Amino acid sequence: MSIIQQHTQATLSDAWRTINIDALTEDSSVNFDVSTLHPPLPEISEADARAINGQVRQLLRGGDAEGALRGCLEMPVYNGSEAAKETHLHTVIEVLQSIKASEMTPMLQRIFAQQGGSECLDVLMKYLYKGMAATSSSSSSAADGSGRATPARAMTPQATGGFSQVGQRPMASNESTGSAMSVLLSWHEKVVEVAGLGCIGRVMTDFRRV
Amino acid sequence: MAAPEVHHLFHHPIADHSFSADRQTLAIARDTQVELYGRVGNAFKLKDELKGHDKLVTSVDIAPNTGRIVTCSQDRNALVWEPSPTGYKPTLVLLRISRAATFVRWSPSEAKFAVGSGDRVIAICYFEEENDWWVSKHLKKPIRSTITSVAWHPNSVLLAAGSTDAHARVFSSFIKGTDQRPEPSPWGERLPFNTVCGEFLNNSAGWVHAVAFSPSGDALAFAAHDSSITVVYPSAPEQPPKAVISINTQLLPFMSLFWNGEAEIIAAGYDCEAFRFQGGEQGWQLAGTLEKAKAGGRPGLGGEDREESALNMFKQMDLKGKVSKDDTQLKTVHQNTVTMLRPFEESGGRVTKFSSSGVDGRVVIWHT
Repeated sequence: MSIIQQHTQATLSDAWRTINIDALTEDSSVNFDVSTLHPPLPEISEADARAINGQVRQLLRGGDAEGALRGCLEMPVYNGSEAAKETHLHTVIEVLQSIKASEMTPMLQRIFAQQGGSECLDVLMKYLYKGMAATSSSSSSAADGSGRATPARAMTPQATGGFSQVGQRPMASNESTGSAMSVLLSWHEKVVEVAGLGCIGRVMTDFRRV
Repeated sequence: MAAPEVHHLFHHPIADHSFSADRQTLAIARDTQVELYGRVGNAFKLKDELKGHDKLVTSVDIAPNTGRIVTCSQDRNALVWEPSPTGYKPTLVLLRISRAATFVRWSPSEAKFAVGSGDRVIAICYFEEENDWWVSKHLKKPIRSTITSVAWHPNSVLLAAGSTDAHARVFSSFIKGTDQRPEPSPWGERLPFNTVCGEFLNNSAGWVHAVAFSPSGDALAFAAHDSSITVVYPSAPEQPPKAVISINTQLLPFMSLFWNGEAEIIAAGYDCEAFRFQGGEQGWQLAGTLEKAKAGGRPGLGGEDREESALNMFKQMDLKGKVSKDDTQLKTVHQNTVTMLRPFEESGGRVTKFSSSGVDGRVVIWHT
């Protein structure tokens, strides 16, 4: 009951396996817009994202870090321009950086226990991953910059003096991204403790990207 | 709670398992064949092998009354195995699909069965007397991706299906001549073939792994890859449902679930153990694991166990670099993902025992 009833030269090779039969089927997944499967999400403009940023900053200045965190997690930018998403990411990271390490876990537990808290932590996890992607890509681009400079210097015999100079610039940028990364990583650990591994799974499956 | 009955059959994943009505025969989908095990005392011994598929068998189901076994496979075929005095005789079913068959279940009436497939269709198969042949009709619209699981409503007409397009759907599979006209239910009154009685997705919209109707058929539960289970209570035909309750868990996703009465759901999956959910129309919550809390296997000796584990900890610190024995052993009975749960014994509308099978080659019979 094999697919191939008679072996010919064509079936003996594996070339037929690489035919993309999806492209040939009218109603296959590659021939329709996947976004039609989901209900539309409200669009948030960059101005809205900035307004949220202002409100969140006000809460932070007032000392209500938990309110600020909840505020920005309840208004994630799912549908918006890159700039709006970027703005909101900065808002979230700003809030995260302003919260002391000792306050993280109790705050997360309080948020988790509230109505819709699990959803909030899922959103937080999405921003943590987005933040990590952003900081790591900026640090890798910095490394690229130095990477381009190194071969030229490596060819010259007196490269040692130059090396320390090259080494310094990326080090400086690494320090800031490194500290941002360590904040994100410690938050990540705390969120997994409270919301479990299910939270990571949800971030990966969710069609609503931040 | 009595200890679970563990049968470690082999070191190979079990795609699906099914018990016969008298619970003496166990069918296991293993690789490209189905193995039949018979109960001998407290163990299950290999009795027969059903060879007919030439790709991985994805699902197997024994009809409790007729004893017929239906299997489906990635070779795009389904076979009905008829019991006879000289063994099981296979009959090929015309599925007319061009992708793997993923899931098969007999309807409660046993007159037909549903085969889910990667071809974005569900084949509803029934026996045509005049041609002496199993034929199929396709449920097509509006499925956009692979069907991962199907479940029958007690009336044998409504069928729930979970799909990788993140939707759980309820269809009518009414076949003239085979089915009785169903009683009107909250899902619908007039139900011609391929009526879509409901289409549901939860917030984060992960792949749907499992679907199940409640015993009355008036509620639907599904488990998705976002580690959630969602329970839907329909109100009336063409109306939005009365309640859709989604429970996000801290656990890994569930692969299979079933209802234990109307107020309890048992689900298991990548966490290798079964969990109990309790609730109703007002809300549902996770009630805990069905695994016995065990540390050393001997109840009532908790303190000693704790002491032992502290001793172990220091021992391991001392022998740093040496792999400790427990590193590769999970604390659960199943040592890998549980892929299928089925009710095993029922009394008074409650499931008193259920069976589970998984990637670790074990079949376990549990008390609820």
